[in-house]
Amino acid sequence: MFKTFRISFMLKNTYRTNAILHGIKQLPFIGKLIPDTVYGMPAFKIIAYVIAIIYEISTLLIWKLAYFFFFIALWTMIGDVSRQLQPEFFLHLLIPLTITGAFIHNFMFEAEKHKYYAMMQLNMDSRQFTLVNYFYELAKYFIGFLICGLLFGLILGLHIWECLLIPVFAASAKTLVCAYQINRFKRGKPVTNSSSLLKNGLLLIGLCLFIPGLYITGLLGFTIPRYASWAIIAFVIAGTALTCRSIFSFTEYRAMNKEILSSQLINQMDKSAQRRMIVDRNRKIISLDKNISSNKNGFEYLNELFIKRHRKTLWGNSIIITAVIAGLIILASVVCIMVPKVGSGLNETLMRSLPYFCIIMYAINRGMYFTQALFMNCDHSLLTYSFYKEPKSILSLFRIRLREITKVNLLPAATGGAGLALLLFLSGGTDNPINYAVLFVSICAMSIFFSVHYLTIYYLLQPYNAGTEIKSGTYQVINIGTYMVCFFFMNVKLPTLYFGLSTIAFCVLYCIIACILVYKFAPKTFRIRT
Amino acid sequence: MIFTIEHLSKRFDAKEVLRDISFSFESGKIYGLLGRNGAGKTTLFNCLNGDLKADSGIYTIQDTAGTRTPVPDDIGYVLSTPTVPEFLTGREFLKFFCDIHSGRIKGIRPLDDYFDYIGIDRMDRDKLLKDYSHGMKNKMQMLINIIAQPNLLLLDEPLTSLDVVVAEEMKDVLRSIKSDRITILSTHIMDLALDMCDEIVLLSHGVLEKVDKNNLDNNDFKDKIIAALKEETNV
Repeated sequence: MFKTFRISFMLKNTYRTNAILHGIKQLPFIGKLIPDTVYGMPAFKIIAYVIAIIYEISTLLIWKLAYFFFFIALWTMIGDVSRQLQPEFFLHLLIPLTITGAFIHNFMFEAEKHKYYAMMQLNMDSRQFTLVNYFYELAKYFIGFLICGLLFGLILGLHIWECLLIPVFAASAKTLVCAYQINRFKRGKPVTNSSSLLKNGLLLIGLCLFIPGLYITGLLGFTIPRYASWAIIAFVIAGTALTCRSIFSFTEYRAMNKEILSSQLINQMDKSAQRRMIVDRNRKIISLDKNISSNKNGFEYLNELFIKRHRKTLWGNSIIITAVIAGLIILASVVCIMVPKVGSGLNETLMRSLPYFCIIMYAINRGMYFTQALFMNCDHSLLTYSFYKEPKSILSLFRIRLREITKVNLLPAATGGAGLALLLFLSGGTDNPINYAVLFVSICAMSIFFSVHYLTIYYLLQPYNAGTEIKSGTYQVINIGTYMVCFFFMNVKLPTLYFGLSTIAFCVLYCIIACILVYKFAPKTFRIRT
Repeated sequence: MIFTIEHLSKRFDAKEVLRDISFSFESGKIYGLLGRNGAGKTTLFNCLNGDLKADSGIYTIQDTAGTRTPVPDDIGYVLSTPTVPEFLTGREFLKFFCDIHSGRIKGIRPLDDYFDYIGIDRMDRDKLLKDYSHGMKNKMQMLINIIAQPNLLLLDEPLTSLDVVVAEEMKDVLRSIKSDRITILSTHIMDLALDMCDEIVLLSHGVLEKVDKNNLDNNDFKDKIIAALKEETNV
């Protein structure tokens, strides 16, 4: 057992050490200074090893402290819970959250890379490896809960014996869930962990109702009685004592781990499997309708077939967004007419809200999905042919695509812009009639801006390699920057007229510059990254 | 026609993959490009095809009209993993290609003639390319490059993953079109290189080096090539 622990600990640290060195090598500027042979250089290895050990020790306490403070103690302050009720409130939150946590994040069922290396690649004894690792993590968890339970429990008025029982309860909850999951696996049911649980929509909705409900009832004074909390704790500890044998007697750890790791990790680690998954996913979005055809020629022919065979992906969301916007506008219009008081408030809001539409237009724009679909299902293959890389071909297709992407994005934008102008009119109108036009045109201009923006950076930076991975840091930085600029605009306080006119001017200028740049540079930059 | 590479170099960080390569290829011949894993065969092809910017070097085509720099139309590149636009049918892809090249390629024929030539069944011609088998996609990729009539045809491991029947069909196709162009075929399979190629060129130590067969029989020639490739690791 000790040998297994030693090997698995060393393996995890080696993996972490190399991951740290790899991370440092990816840093801008500093990364360039570090040689490729860094993984074999003792000085760097020692530094990374020390960081890995510090990380391991820090995980013992940091997350637990954050958990006890942000999820429990902070709420006693927010709710101004009386001293007398604090222990009950503390247990009211701690017990359900800890039990939920035992299901959502249980070390035994998490897909982790070092587990894959040890059990699948190095063929270590799966039962020994799983149990040794589980009890090592459980010991860390116990210590963290012991320290935090004592610290926060005593501050919030619990008896010391109660504080000492908290880590026993927490560790028992985890182990009881292990026994439950193993029992499910024996009955042929799939093992669940954080990733699979979070993919379960029904469960997510349940959690979204349960957790806020827990806080709301607590803050309203409807807490679980203290005796009931201790009954639950006693039940969990007793349940663990009765069922934990099944963890030791279980022999199918390899099969169970294989299921956990293959469903999530092997695909992540095996690049060719990952590539196959991406290819398969993109193949599925191609329409199989045999009636699709085109009477056009050349690039217009290619484009029309692409749009028709990807209509659901390219136009589907745009149509849904448009329908939602139209629905909201109709609703707001009815409210404006029926309740004039609300209308006057809305009128004032509309005259100040244009800067917020930057982030809204950013969020609903389909530009990035459009360019992704273009690369995955069209350019990825055609860019390997010489004729497709000729400047004339690149520029003709750019023009056609700009038209298409603008159409897709303009539908919801024009609906929204026209709707806002209508709402402005219905809610009391404006002294300056130009405001109606500015609202409509500036929102359409924002939409055109995003369409041009995404297509331009796609043509100028072409971020994908042959394996359909994004390989351009600049592309990612520009995407983050775009989001930050849109976010920043929410704080801009300018009258609609001035903000709208500046937006229109900026968008026109940007589109001109972007098109010049594409015409000048895209024939050189629009290549598959190697 | 002669395709000449002069002083071609390419390095990735500290590793110099192509080292001041100078070499000439003559039309009418199939060149077998051999090299060990990581020798730089794909890098060389990517540089020649303009997918990768070389650190230095020039390429020229010398024909009856004089010497000139190659344009994209001069080069055809067939990858080992066939890449075709999967949202099109075989016929649509061919129609699109012919549309783009109308007026540039002499004697474009009816689409079905091309399918007959490459051996794609009538019932498969109107299927989406995503439903084509690996071999059929490879045939489509090859067909496009044949219709384009490039002066320089680069083939990166073109027959490795094909079944024996398709591989033999492809060999016949390549032999039939070799007379008007330069064909460079990179492969790991020695027998394929000896069977198909008129000249064997090794890419070792970052440079191209022709291996003369002289009067050797196939077995001795193989031994000579392997000995030359082994030298690379002993350096």
